[in-house]
Amino acid sequence: MSETPNYDSEYDAIVVGAGLAGSTAALTMARDGLDVIMIERGPSPGTKNVFGGVLYTPRIRELTDFDDAPKERYVAKKTYSMLSEEGDETSMSIAPSSWREEPHNNSWMVLRADFDEWFAEQAVEAGAMLVTETTVTDLIKENGEVVGVETDRPDGELRAPMVVLAEGANSLVSEAAGLKDRDDRDNVAVSVKEVRKYDREKLEDRFHIDGDAGLAAHYFGDGACGDAVGGGFLYTNKRTVSIGVVYSIEDAAHDKKTPDEVLEEFKQHPAVAPLVRGGRMVEYSAHAIPEGGPDSMPELVHDGAVIVGDAAGLVLNSGVHLEGTNMAVESGYHAGRAVADALAQGRTDEAALASYETNLRDSYVVENLEHYGWFMDTAAEEKEFLFDDLPRALGRAGDAYFKMDNTPKDEHVSEAKSHILDATGGWLGAAKKAWKFRKMLS
Amino acid sequence: MSTAKPNVPDTPEIERESIEDRLYTVKYSDSGESHLDVKVEGICEEKCTNYECVNACPADVWRAEEGGVPTIAYENCLECGTCRFACPHGNVEWEYPETGNGVSYKFG
Ligand SMILES: Cc1cc2nc3c(=O)[nH]c(=O)nc-3n(C[C@H](O)[C@H](O)[C@H](O)COP(=O)(O)OP(=O)(O)OC[C@H]3O[C@@H](n4cnc5c(N)ncnc54)[C@H](O)[C@@H]3O)c2cc1C
Ligand code: SF4
Ligand code: SF4
Repeated sequence: MSETPNYDSEYDAIVVGAGLAGSTAALTMARDGLDVIMIERGPSPGTKNVFGGVLYTPRIRELTDFDDAPKERYVAKKTYSMLSEEGDETSMSIAPSSWREEPHNNSWMVLRADFDEWFAEQAVEAGAMLVTETTVTDLIKENGEVVGVETDRPDGELRAPMVVLAEGANSLVSEAAGLKDRDDRDNVAVSVKEVRKYDREKLEDRFHIDGDAGLAAHYFGDGACGDAVGGGFLYTNKRTVSIGVVYSIEDAAHDKKTPDEVLEEFKQHPAVAPLVRGGRMVEYSAHAIPEGGPDSMPELVHDGAVIVGDAAGLVLNSGVHLEGTNMAVESGYHAGRAVADALAQGRTDEAALASYETNLRDSYVVENLEHYGWFMDTAAEEKEFLFDDLPRALGRAGDAYFKMDNTPKDEHVSEAKSHILDATGGWLGAAKKAWKFRKMLS
Repeated sequence: MSTAKPNVPDTPEIERESIEDRLYTVKYSDSGESHLDVKVEGICEEKCTNYECVNACPADVWRAEEGGVPTIAYENCLECGTCRFACPHGNVEWEYPETGNGVSYKFG
């Protein structure tokens, strides 16, 4: 570095976005004694944010008094269902008794408007400053180094040694400043969701849940969202149910049906309709999800700036897992520590911040992304089989296997087998497909 | 894509919510000025026939028009960003509404 830029402000670090990644970074840095300012575009943290969803809390529990956090229900049961367009459902349900005990496998349904506000408040209590209703529009650079941000406020320039970019899936600032490219549309999903309100007792009866226990239900197949790469979800909150669909923007762009229409159809499926009938829709929402896996991760570390959370593409979608909250928090945590270490040495250059990337690569975050990196590509390649042929074949096989008629069970079994083999392309095809998807459960 | 829903007996009838009903549940504050635009009208007119922005938008913001250039009801926008990715010609001009305006979720 030639000369020290003029940082004109009292802050050591500016955090762009007070979502999960941003508030974690701010909290971590503030606890390390840094002067931190978080800039959030919404009227309060969380008002612009949408997820399914289940908040995964291993790190949040270490950083906060999570018992005080506004939350809805813990996940006591997960279900995975294949839905065919004809109306078949084939499903699996997992409810280990340990999930009912603290810490509930670190899996809690929350509502983001409540949770994100509380979480940002924890950073503020640790000493961070929060400004809302302010959008960062660009980064200020000097000699290739990031030295501050531009905002949409009058005299909206703010300078500081470090900037943490925690702006989520629509990373306009990182893109405008040339720190990353816009993702291709086959690496991003569109998601729409509605929150429906029910009488609490009715909701608990309907989903066989009690106390704080809740259900996380996942749906695949062309009965969930047409023949697009994607699926549907349903999560129980205290008094509301969140129901939605997530699918590739590549597919959405080609389908004349708009995402709200796809959600309407999902709700009509015989496996879903009884779960969502009645009640009242209290909110409709939409959000993008980056799901390009390890190949679409941008450079995380720059001179004077780091990128965290969804802005860094840190979402795992493996078909079985949809995780972004834990990865956002984990990346904010490692980034916050790296920034504090670098500033303690009076440095802001890329080399001094490298421990962020190293620690993230050593953590489960990048490990998981790499382990499941194959999934989205394979799912796109095998779209017709996975989302079309398989759910139908499973429905027909179930029908055949349990058939009540005057023929022996032997015949039922071979009919069931033949439905599956038709879908897979015979034994050889089945073996090939099993091989392709072998890593799904490993 | 998927055809009409199956007619399976003993399935409750779920009332379809129109996009207007959906958007009615959303709280907005209007910045008074569109944060969305097309970059080059000629690209919509000449290069694009599919209206992929219209197909992908979950809030009926983008609307197909005779001349080939979609109109934009920016007040409906849920700020999901989908159109930004969906346009195959990178022709969507997209900013956040200024100073916290736009959508504001109560649940999220
Ligand atoms: C429908 C859906 C379902 C999901 N389900 C799950 C799930 O069940 N479990 C799970 O773990 N993950 C789930 N995810 C993923 C998860 O929500 C994200 O990975 C996570 O929210 C990312 O956190 P973040 O802090 O990086 O970004 P965000 O939470 O998006 O936060 C970004 C913040 O930055 C602010 N901001 C953006 N730009 C600017 C700017 N220029 N200036 C100022 N402020 C700005 C935004 O207002 C926002 O507050 C789901 C996502 C979606 C969309
Ligand atoms: S998809 Fe892009 S080019 Fe086509 S009409 Fe929409 S904005 Fe114009
Ligand atoms: S951001 Fe989302 S809601 Fe807004 S116009 Fe684009 S696709 Fe439609």
